[in-house]
Amino acid sequence: MTVGEMLKLMRDPLGAPFYPPALQVLLVVTWVLHIFFVTTALGTSALSIFAFTAKKGAGLWLQAGRLAARLTPNALGLGIVTGIAPLLFVQTIYDPLWYAANTLTGFWSALFIFVVMGGYSLAYVFYLKGSRDGRLLFTAILSLILLFLAGWVMHVLHAVSIRPEQWKQWYMPSGVIDTRGVTFHAYNIPRLVFLLPLQAVLSLAVVMMFASWYLRKRGDDTSFLHWLAALGRTMALVVSPLYGLTGLAWAVTEGPEFGATTLIAVPLVAIGIALTIYFLRLKQPAIRAPLSLGVWLLAVFGVAIVREAVRVASLARYGYTLADYPYHFDWGSILVFGVTTIVGVMVVLYLILVLYQANASQEGTVSLRVERLGKVATGMLGAWFGFFVLMGLYSTFVLR
Amino acid sequence: MYPFWEGLGIHSTLYLAVVSAFHVLVSHLTVAAAWFNLYLERRAVKERREELYAYLKRSALGLLVFAYVFGALAGVGIWQTTTSANPRGISTLIHNFVLFWGSEWYMFLIDVIGIIAYYYTFDRVSRQTHLRLAWILALGGTGTLSIIVGILSFKLTPGLWLETGNSLNGFFNPTFWPQVFLRFAFMFAITAAWSVFVAAGLPKGYFDRERIIRKASAFGLVGLIVGVLVWLVWYEPALPLRAKAILPSPAIPQPTFPMIYFGLLATFIGLLFALIAPGRQRQFMALGALAIMFLAIFGAERTREVLRKPDIIFGYMSSNQLLFNDLPARGIVSEERALAQTGMLGHLPFVPAPDAIASTSGDMTFGIGDPEVSMGRALAIQQCGSCHSVSDQTALTIAGVRLDLRSQAFLLKRRNLVTADQIDTYLKAIGGFPYMHPFVGSDAERRALARYLEAFLHHTYPETAELAKMQSQAR
Repeated sequence: MTVGEMLKLMRDPLGAPFYPPALQVLLVVTWVLHIFFVTTALGTSALSIFAFTAKKGAGLWLQAGRLAARLTPNALGLGIVTGIAPLLFVQTIYDPLWYAANTLTGFWSALFIFVVMGGYSLAYVFYLKGSRDGRLLFTAILSLILLFLAGWVMHVLHAVSIRPEQWKQWYMPSGVIDTRGVTFHAYNIPRLVFLLPLQAVLSLAVVMMFASWYLRKRGDDTSFLHWLAALGRTMALVVSPLYGLTGLAWAVTEGPEFGATTLIAVPLVAIGIALTIYFLRLKQPAIRAPLSLGVWLLAVFGVAIVREAVRVASLARYGYTLADYPYHFDWGSILVFGVTTIVGVMVVLYLILVLYQANASQEGTVSLRVERLGKVATGMLGAWFGFFVLMGLYSTFVLR
Repeated sequence: MYPFWEGLGIHSTLYLAVVSAFHVLVSHLTVAAAWFNLYLERRAVKERREELYAYLKRSALGLLVFAYVFGALAGVGIWQTTTSANPRGISTLIHNFVLFWGSEWYMFLIDVIGIIAYYYTFDRVSRQTHLRLAWILALGGTGTLSIIVGILSFKLTPGLWLETGNSLNGFFNPTFWPQVFLRFAFMFAITAAWSVFVAAGLPKGYFDRERIIRKASAFGLVGLIVGVLVWLVWYEPALPLRAKAILPSPAIPQPTFPMIYFGLLATFIGLLFALIAPGRQRQFMALGALAIMFLAIFGAERTREVLRKPDIIFGYMSSNQLLFNDLPARGIVSEERALAQTGMLGHLPFVPAPDAIASTSGDMTFGIGDPEVSMGRALAIQQCGSCHSVSDQTALTIAGVRLDLRSQAFLLKRRNLVTADQIDTYLKAIGGFPYMHPFVGSDAERRALARYLEAFLHHTYPETAELAKMQSQAR
C-alpha cells in the first residue's frame, strides 16, 4: 500500500458536508484569530514577568505589568474559544493527518488540555492575587512555561501530521507496535520560534499600541500610554527583521523536505521586510494603532496561507489533494449553519460594541444605535430557537 | 485504520471519561446559572433591588474565571482525548455534523464574549442593557446545549439516519428531545450548589443571602425531580431494546449505579437542607455537593456511553472503529464483511502484515519470542484495545496495588479462562453477548489473539499459569 493509497483509505467514507476548498478557507481564516489571541496571551504573560523581574515592578513598568497580567487570561480564553473552529475544519478535510498525529502522540494530545488548564489557572491566580505588586510571581512563570509546553505539543502534532511517510515507522519501530504515544516524533525549531515566541512579541507589540489608543479615549494616564505605545513600536521594529530571518531559516530547514523552500522563504521574508518598513515609518503608534492591528492580522493571514501551502505541498508528494476529497452538499446542516452565522455575528458584534463603548469612557455609556442593535440581535437569538424547533419538527415528522 | 493509543497509566477511555464528566458539570453549570442569574437580575431591575447585584457580580466573576473558560477547556479536552482514544468515532460525528458544531461554536462565542461583557459592564451600562446581556447569556448557553445534545445523542440513537444518511435525521434523533429536557432540568441542581457556594461566601449580614440560597435550592429541587421524571417516562422508554438489555448487564461495572443513586439522593437531601436551613449553609458544603455531583455525572455519562456497546455509533461502527453495516444512502459498505474474508493482518494501514511484525516483541509480549504471540498482540490492539486494557502500560498501580481497570486479563481470570484453547473457544462465541461484536479475522488470527491473551493473563496473574499447567496435566 503506497502512502497515497493509505491516505485515501484513511479518509472518512462519509465525506465532507460542503465543498472542501471552502472549508479550507474557513480553516485558514479562523486559525488567524486563534493564533493572534494565543500569541497575545504568551506575549502579555512574558511582559508581566519581565516587568516584575528585570524592571522590579517600578514606575511605568508596574502599570505595564499589571495591564499585561490582566490581558493574559482573557486573551487565552479567547484563544481557546477561537481555537475550536480550526480544530473542527482540520478534522473535516484533513482527517487522516489530524487523527494519525493525535494517536501517534496520544499521551501528549490527551495531556494537552491539563497543561492549558494549569497555565490558565496560574495566569488567573497571578492576575487576581499577584499583579498588584508582583507577589506570587512563580505562578506567572509557571503559567508561561505551561502555555509554551501546550504550544510545543500543538507544534509537534502538526509536524507529525505533515509527514505521513514516516507514520508507520513511528508506530512500529523495528516491527514492534508502540501504543504509548509519548514520543515527540517531529518538530522544526525555526518554525516553532517563528510561530510562537516571535509572533508573541509582535502580537504583544500591536496590543500595547492598541491598548494605548483605546485607553487614551477614556482619559487614562497619558504619559504611561505614550510610553507603552512607543515601547510597542520599538519591540515590533526590533523583532520584525528577526521574524523575516527566522522565516528564512524555517524555509531552509523544512522546505527541502516538501519541495517548498521558495514557497516558504519568499512570502515570509517579504512579510518580515514589509513589517520592518511599516514599523519604521510608523511615527504615531498610539494614533495609528487600529491600522497597525490590521497590518499585523494581514501579516498573520499571510503566514497562515504559507502554513497551509506547506501542508498542501507535503500531501502533493503522494498525489493527495483536497480537490479529490469526497463531499456532498448537506443542505440541512448548511441551512442551520447559515442561519446561526447570521444570528451569531449580530450578537457577537453587539457584545463587542457594548464592551468597547462601556469601557472606552469613564462614564461607560452605550450609544443608542448600539442599543437598537442589541434589541434586534437579542430578538434574532430568541427567534433562532423558533427556527431550531421548526427544523426539529420537520426532521422528526416530515423528513424521511 | 489509524495508529492506536492505548493510554498510559490508565486506559485512554478513562482520560476521556474524566475530562467529559468535568466538562458536563461545568458546562451545565454555566447554562443554568445564566438562567438563574437572569431571574435574579429581572427581579433586581423590576423591584429595584440593588442588593441583588452583589450576588450577581460575585457569581459572574466565578463563572467567568472558572466555569466558562474551564468549560471551554474541558470541551477542547474532550476533542483531544476522544481523538486520541477513538479517532474514527469522532470522525463520523465530525463528517456528519461539522456544520452543527460550527453553529454551536457561534453560540459558544456568544457565551464566552457574553460573560466577559456581562462581568466587565456591571455599573458601567444601564440596568436595561445589562439585563439584555443576561438574556443573551441564558439564550446562548441554551443554544450550545441544544446543539451538542443532537450530536451526542446520535451516537446511541442514530434513528432514521441509518436509512436516509441525512444529518438532520441523525441530529433530531429519537432521544434528542428527552435528553435536551433531561439535561436542562438536572443542570439546575448543579447550579443550586453553585449558588449556595457563591451566596454562602457573601457577608453574614448581607440582606438577601438566605433568600437567594432558598430560591436556588428550590430551583435545584424542582430540576432534580423533573429530571428524574423525564428519565423515567421519556428518555428510558426511547432507548433501543439492546441498550435496555445492557442496562442490567455486567457491561456496566459496579459501583456505577450505587454512585448515581447516592449522588441523586445526596443532592436531594442537600438541597432540601439548604431550602429549610439557608442560614446554616457553608461554602465547603456546596463544594462537597459539587464533588458528589461530579461522581454521579461520571457514573451517568459512563452508563450512557456503555449503553451503546459494542458500537461507537449504534448500528454503524463498532467500538474497534470498523464499519459493520452498510449505509446505502451514502454509498458506504461494511468494512467488517471484507475483513472477515481477507483477514485483518496487513489489510488495514496500521494493522501490520505478519512479515512486518517482529517475531519477538520483548517486553511487549512478556518475553515470549513467538511470532504467533506477536501477531496476537497486533490483533489484540486492534480488536480489543478500544475498550479493554491489553497491556501493562494501562494498569495503574497505586501504593503497590494494581488497579486492573478495564483489563482484559482480569476479565479472562474472572471467567476462569486460563488457556489459549479456552480463550479461543470463548472468542468464537463472543458475538453472542449483547455487548460484544464477533471476532473479525481468520481462524489463524483468532488463534494468535488467544495466544497473546493467554500470555497477558499469565503474566498479569501468575497463578493462572499454574492453573493452566495443572489443567493440561489433568488432561
